[in-house]
Amino acid sequence: MGKILVCDGNEAAAWGVARSKPDMVAVFPITPQSSLAEYISQFVADGVIKADLMDVEGEHSVLSVLQGACLAGARTYTASCGQGLAFMFEPYFRSAPLRLPLVMSIVTRDGITPQSVWGGQQDAMTVRETGWIHMYCETCQEILDTVIMAYRIAENRDVMLPVNVNHDGNYLSYGVEKVELPEEEEVDAFMGEKNTNWHVALDPDRPMGVDPLTGGAGGVGPSLFVSYRKGHCKGMQNALRVITEVHEEWGERFGRYYAPLVEEYRLDDADYAIVTIGSMSGAGKDAVDAAREEGEKVGLIKIKTFRPFPLQALRDALAKVKAVGVVDRSVSFAWNSGPVYQELLSALYFLDNRIPAVSFIGGLAGADITIDHFKRVIDTTARTLQGEVPSECIWLNEND
Amino acid sequence: MPSAKYLIIGSSHAGLCALDAIRLQDTEGSVTLITRDESLPYSPTILPYVVSGDADPEKIFLRDQKAMDHLNVTFLKGETVTTVDTKAHSVRLSSGESLSYEKLLLATGATPVLPPVTGLEDEPHHVLRTLDDAMKLRTALENKHTALVVGAGLIGMHAAENLAKIGVDVTIVEALPHVLPDYFDEDGASLIQQAFSDKGIKMHLGCTMKQVARSNGAQLVTLNSGETISSDLVLVATGVRPSIDYLSEADIEVDQGILVDDRMRTSADGVWAAGDVVQAPGFFDSEKRLNGTLPDASEQGRIAGMDMVGDSALKPYKGGIGMNTYKFFGHRAFSIGLIKEANTGSDGREEDRVSAPDLEEDRVFSPASQRYQKLVFQDDRLVGALSINTDLDPGVMFEVIRRRIDLKDMKAQFVDHPQETGRILMTKVWR
Amino acid sequence: MGKGYPTIAFYPEKCNGCNDCVEACAQIKTETSEPVHSRISVAKDPDDEFYGLSLCRQCGDPRCVMDCPARALTKNEDTGVVHWDETKCVNCQICTLACPYAGITYNRITDQVMKCDLCNGDPACVKACAPMALEYKIGAEIYNTWGDLEDLFVPGVGACLGCNSELIMRHTLRRIGPNTVVATPPGCIPGVGSVGVNGITSTKTPVFHPLLTNTASMLAGVKRYYNRIGRDVTMLALAGDGGAADVGFQSLSGAAERGEQMIFVCVDNEGYMNTGVQRSSTTPYGAWTTTTPVGEALQGKTRDAKPLPLLMVLHSCEYVATAALPFMEDFYMKLDKAIEASKRGMAFIHIFSPCPTGWRFDPSQLIEVARKGVETNMVPLWEYENDLGRINITHVVNEPLPVVTYLKSIGKYRHLSDEQLVYIQRKTDERFELLKKFTKESKLEGLSDAA
Ligand SMILES: Cc1cc2nc3c(=O)[nH]c(=O)nc-3n(C[C@H](O)[C@H](O)[C@H](O)COP(=O)(O)OP(=O)(O)OC[C@H]3O[C@@H](n4cnc5c(N)ncnc54)[C@H](O)[C@@H]3O)c2cc1C
Repeated sequence: MGKILVCDGNEAAAWGVARSKPDMVAVFPITPQSSLAEYISQFVADGVIKADLMDVEGEHSVLSVLQGACLAGARTYTASCGQGLAFMFEPYFRSAPLRLPLVMSIVTRDGITPQSVWGGQQDAMTVRETGWIHMYCETCQEILDTVIMAYRIAENRDVMLPVNVNHDGNYLSYGVEKVELPEEEEVDAFMGEKNTNWHVALDPDRPMGVDPLTGGAGGVGPSLFVSYRKGHCKGMQNALRVITEVHEEWGERFGRYYAPLVEEYRLDDADYAIVTIGSMSGAGKDAVDAAREEGEKVGLIKIKTFRPFPLQALRDALAKVKAVGVVDRSVSFAWNSGPVYQELLSALYFLDNRIPAVSFIGGLAGADITIDHFKRVIDTTARTLQGEVPSECIWLNEND
Repeated sequence: MPSAKYLIIGSSHAGLCALDAIRLQDTEGSVTLITRDESLPYSPTILPYVVSGDADPEKIFLRDQKAMDHLNVTFLKGETVTTVDTKAHSVRLSSGESLSYEKLLLATGATPVLPPVTGLEDEPHHVLRTLDDAMKLRTALENKHTALVVGAGLIGMHAAENLAKIGVDVTIVEALPHVLPDYFDEDGASLIQQAFSDKGIKMHLGCTMKQVARSNGAQLVTLNSGETISSDLVLVATGVRPSIDYLSEADIEVDQGILVDDRMRTSADGVWAAGDVVQAPGFFDSEKRLNGTLPDASEQGRIAGMDMVGDSALKPYKGGIGMNTYKFFGHRAFSIGLIKEANTGSDGREEDRVSAPDLEEDRVFSPASQRYQKLVFQDDRLVGALSINTDLDPGVMFEVIRRRIDLKDMKAQFVDHPQETGRILMTKVWR
Repeated sequence: MGKGYPTIAFYPEKCNGCNDCVEACAQIKTETSEPVHSRISVAKDPDDEFYGLSLCRQCGDPRCVMDCPARALTKNEDTGVVHWDETKCVNCQICTLACPYAGITYNRITDQVMKCDLCNGDPACVKACAPMALEYKIGAEIYNTWGDLEDLFVPGVGACLGCNSELIMRHTLRRIGPNTVVATPPGCIPGVGSVGVNGITSTKTPVFHPLLTNTASMLAGVKRYYNRIGRDVTMLALAGDGGAADVGFQSLSGAAERGEQMIFVCVDNEGYMNTGVQRSSTTPYGAWTTTTPVGEALQGKTRDAKPLPLLMVLHSCEYVATAALPFMEDFYMKLDKAIEASKRGMAFIHIFSPCPTGWRFDPSQLIEVARKGVETNMVPLWEYENDLGRINITHVVNEPLPVVTYLKSIGKYRHLSDEQLVYIQRKTDERFELLKKFTKESKLEGLSDAA
């Protein structure tokens, strides 16, 4: 049994970093990640994190120095969000195709404009198609545990991909909870050997050209390019298995079991379900419990791993119900709905029967998604069973 | 069959320069160098000095065996190549052995030609091309008093002078109206002839030898004029022709010599040729002709070697330019390029070859001081330079011609001060 | 590999025609002062104040040696001297026809040829030359010292004819050596194949494409990790002006400020050449590019070039230098210092890199154009050492050529009006004056205070 802390999500993430023992960390402050940057710096100052801290001049360089370090063999960590992530996008985009096992927290924040410094998942959702692994946490404990697990997943030779561990700005970043800090030796035993650059390196002992020009209209270029892309997709698919195995092992070692891909809550006998992602899931579960008390046969499906997309797990969950209501904390502008909803529709395609699905968007720019909001979600979803299916997405905070 | 990556036939200037160029780039590839001579490599140019005793025959060699070993070369002396099979990539030697090659250089030089003279074939006579010839001539000269040199080209003139210097009474017979017709115009030749007759050498110009016969231990030569000359010894120096007998069955294009392009490639794959044996593009026009000078042989050899080894620094052959230095009885002369093609002589008379009417010449001819300088220009570029006893630098003049330097407004200055202006030009190009 | 040898270098612009060298040579060789015996002579241009030198160059591949039928001339492998053996010479004079520099000449008094023998390594002419127009130089010192090192780029990279970048790549990496991580951000250098194509690389060291924007950051990350694990590995960036002065400037500036240990080489060809000759912030005023075209309304770039190397000085880098390849010794000296400085922090070398393709001049003129850039003071060669705290001009141009001599040799300036030429001359002078303020000769106390 490790030490018990009372801390917010940003500090929990920093403790996860401390236990993961990276060689190099680099951070550039941005709300609501800033206190995480400060915790990391303080931990380095105190010797709790024995990494080189690179205080570089912007997020673009943050990820760049870490890529360089990783290519030399380092284990690395950083955190960012919102505009910081946007500024980082250029190196961010190439991290995954370079197959660098970086770990980075996104303390999710809504996107400007309108100017906003508050939570929302618009940042992380916007970069969902860049080949990174994306996991969303529900609690401070899960943040700490998932940061550590992220290294095992990223550095698995069947995966070799960067991982974003996402936690909601404001609600998790500043929300204080009781957290158990696992013992250092136990985490060391769990982590095993560092494994960062066996496949691509900048090392005079094994000289290689990293990232030569590839592709073109003919010759070997196109097929070589395809082989890189397919390899990347394969790594992503392998990650579904690896994420599951790592979560199981974590549970066995530390006694805390998390659904690795998709969590089913009171789903087995449910007629319908609501779908959540991130910290809102707690309120969602309370609302489900309350509805159950009133005899509603409702369950909850929580998505933890959004990238790779957990198609099979989601199909299995959806097969158990006759309707779903999906709550997003960001906007898919093109679809007039939320991105989780939009992708869940793809999973529905694989079911034998078409079931009604309703899109809800809530919690933008720091707004709270309350139990009352979830009651509305449950009611609306329940009514679809009587054929009352809304024609458009419902914006939960629109009339608050 | 033994084989060589690079097989070089001929170990004189062309062959050796090719060898050096090859070894600069490829220190490993096997090289075999063959000569029909029994000796280490030497230059035919040295031979008159061997005859006169100015050069010690033991010390004339261009490379010793140590140098060959150092370059990791298989050096075969006293082996004559008899045939070349370009399809099989092999050559056959007089010993009966065959050798195969990847790349072959033919640098077999030239051989003296004998004029059609009655009795010449049967009568003892001398030529001068090989060390063997030189040693024979040297020995033959012992207690001989008179010698007849047939042909007043460079070889004949050199030989005549060197024989005179050791006290032999020399007579020269030349078919053309003046000596050294390949290099000097009439005015130039007149100064040389004056120096020769001052030393007691008799010259029969515009005469040919008709017949040679033996009489009282001496040889009696009859000229076309009917005149007869008695002499202890006859040296025939009426010209040379490329040594290509061994190619009669080979599939290589030849005219008078082996035809080559500006990288010394012959018509046959993997076969190069360089030196006196080739007929190569000229500098002033691209017609292929024989040139037969030492500097040209080394330049061609170097180019051939570089091309054989694939040296990227290779600059193609710019074309042959007739040229030579000529030292005679303490006088110093040289001739480069188009010196006979211009149209006037000292007294305004037409010269023998008026082939390029757009040539301009500048002459300073002072027979009293035995000096002569002639510069020939075409479109403000120097194309010919001739000098007897002036301070002009032959190498600088040659380079000004070879680089086709457009003198433009410097031309007047060049004409007035050719030595200084030439040297300044070269300083500028060097940097 | 071969060897470079000493030779006597001649600087015509310093010669005053005094002929003291001629006399000194005659003295030491014959104990007379007769010019006829001198192995050196100086020709004066009657119209022009220019002197031509006739002296043996002790060529590496001497034609006189090749053409000597008596083997009287040989190249001494140890000293490099082309040696004339009087006992073998037959006085045929063919050597005088072989030498284009009148380096071996005929002496009518002795009736022999004569040539310089470098006075056993202590040439009298050089000592006698007051204006120092003659210099006894260990020529090819660079070659002797570094020539045996491996060229770490494969032969046959796909650069344009006369590409300066290729020279820079080869020299820099050869000198710095294989224990190096090389970053070549997008531009001409990877364009010619530094990182290679389709899985085949052209560089024998670790090499990569950073982004155009993050070269200095990525190298900083690599270096910091090697430092952490106690491995000494050199970081080298070969970046264009875009990747250094423009979109790459933030990361470069950040890395310089943090004192990241690397050698950052900016190959400044004054524009985006790889994408087809567009302007960059280092494109000079007046230059034509495809985005600063010449027409009715516009006559090339309207702004001055960003003075990147000076900006780097103000970052307190460990070492900052400008370089140009006609001045190879200067460049190698700077590489040496940069290697040392990069163990302590940022070493920044800004190489002036004319581009025949993008600037529109004949590829054969590359070195000449670069030389004129320096000799007009448009590209002064200098260095800054942090511990000395000031700039030192490493190649002083005593009488700078007018900028037109440089501008006229380049197509991208062909359109310049007289007013524009005047402007460029003025700006060049002003910038040079500004630079001089940072040198020892100026009154400023030193840059460390200013920075
Ligand atoms: C007396 C004399 C004076 C000269 N003076 C001058 C002068 O002052 N200036 C000047 O520029 N030039 C002069 N020359 C000409 C000059 O020597 C030649 O131009 C030069 O030597 C040509 O060199 P080469 O390598 O082409 O051929 P060569 O020197 O002729 O050498 C030919 C080589 O090929 C070998 N060889 C030939 N056939 C065979 C075969 N079948 N198998 C094996 N080996 C073979 C020979 O043994 C020899 O090694 C003179 C020539 C002579 C003879």
